[in-house]
Amino acid sequence: MTALHDELVELIASEALVDKEKLKPEATLADVGLDSVGVVSVAFAVEEKYGVELPEEAFADATNFGQFLAVLETAIESKVGS
Amino acid sequence: MGPGAQRRIVVTGLGAVCALGANASETWAAARDGRSGIRRHVFDAGPNGPEAHETPAALVEGDIVAPLEAALGRRFGQSLDPFAILALAVAHEALDQAGLLGSAALERRTAVVLGHGFAGIHSLEAAFDRFYGRKAAKLHPVTVPKVMVSAPVSAVAITFGIKGPVFAVSSACSSSGHAIAQGASLIASGQCDIALVGGSEAIATPGCLRAWEGLQAMSPTTCRPFSAGRDGMTIGEGGAAMVLEDADHARARGAMILAELGGVGLSSDAFHWTQPSLEGAVTAMAAACEQAGLTDGDQVLISTHGTGTPLNDKNEAAAIHAVFGARAGRQPVIATKSAHGHLIGAATALQGVIGLQALRAGLAPPILGWLGRDPDCDLDLVLGEARPIEADALLLNAFAFGGLNTSLVFRLWRDAAATA
Repeated sequence: MTALHDELVELIASEALVDKEKLKPEATLADVGLDSVGVVSVAFAVEEKYGVELPEEAFADATNFGQFLAVLETAIESKVGS
Repeated sequence: MGPGAQRRIVVTGLGAVCALGANASETWAAARDGRSGIRRHVFDAGPNGPEAHETPAALVEGDIVAPLEAALGRRFGQSLDPFAILALAVAHEALDQAGLLGSAALERRTAVVLGHGFAGIHSLEAAFDRFYGRKAAKLHPVTVPKVMVSAPVSAVAITFGIKGPVFAVSSACSSSGHAIAQGASLIASGQCDIALVGGSEAIATPGCLRAWEGLQAMSPTTCRPFSAGRDGMTIGEGGAAMVLEDADHARARGAMILAELGGVGLSSDAFHWTQPSLEGAVTAMAAACEQAGLTDGDQVLISTHGTGTPLNDKNEAAAIHAVFGARAGRQPVIATKSAHGHLIGAATALQGVIGLQALRAGLAPPILGWLGRDPDCDLDLVLGEARPIEADALLLNAFAFGGLNTSLVFRLWRDAAATA
């Protein structure tokens, strides 16, 4: 799981052009520099790389970066486990 | 004088990226020294396309993204198509040379007009590969902003904080010629004092190159303007930009004036999709020369459209004779597509950037690929090596598919106030 976490942080930093140092769990999406285009680009890249589906509603309750990351990890792990 | 009787329009900055170099002076040095950027390349359409094929093209070499990101202090990632990145690079160089980076004049009194024959073709082909090749219904979220023709001008405006008139124009191989003309018009009409003009093009993709081959106008070897045995054009990629400025505005801020835009001639053949007309070319050239006030005594450096196709070069040679008459043989003729390829929408601007440096250096760059004389192209061709010239005017031609023509005349700057 740690490996997945690190992979995702790399991917997000690269897709959304944000600094890895800013990607702290308690930071808001605005704080880390993830705007709506950034969120969609990250979702698209994650779907491509891990073969998962990430509907828009999946992120509706994510108010900080930690929760955003959790949505991605959950989707990937449910697919791997199924 | 230029379009608009009251305002003289001058050039205060140049920028270029192409197969010959990563900036305007590298590009000029390569052209002057007779180096060619045309090479054979393999274009592979991947698992979903037909077999890979090898064809000549003039491609930008090396990485231009990292140095540009460092210069601008921001990263683009996947958000820009190559044709927009090229536009940013040349805009930055031209604005930097003009001493305008960070200037308040950029915000309200500057226009941006760039020309492109196509759009974000690299991004479009990638999107189609997903859609048709992998049958993926979802496309990357920034596909539209990357592909749209206006992406480069928007990228330039956003990056440099330009809030005046900003738009893209298109007329195939004359696109950046029309962009220069439009920028000049905006200054002449008083809507702005500065216009960043030029063009960019990046269409050397597997699919687009096959489409060009279908036209039967491409050379299987290289571009040989005005030569016996010439057999077609070669695609090039790159971008070029000029800063046009009202002369008084430039003088007031102590800008270095590189040249003056003396005349603009625009015409349409109303004839054929791929064959040029003599009348259209003559109309554009004569109008530009007359507006610039060229006299019989002037020597003019002629930067021809010179694509290396049998039809264009013969037609252009005839048009030069029609316009210059007995004086035709005294005007040195260059054809730099033989070195940098045909940049389609960016061609006129790149040829202008090279031509202005040639004019200022008093040296005409040689035409490459020449095999022998064609009696239908009886012109004073500059061949072999760079030739010292006395010309103080540059005639820059672009005759596009679909019959859209631009001719521009630039002159070395003569400041009447300085000589008074």
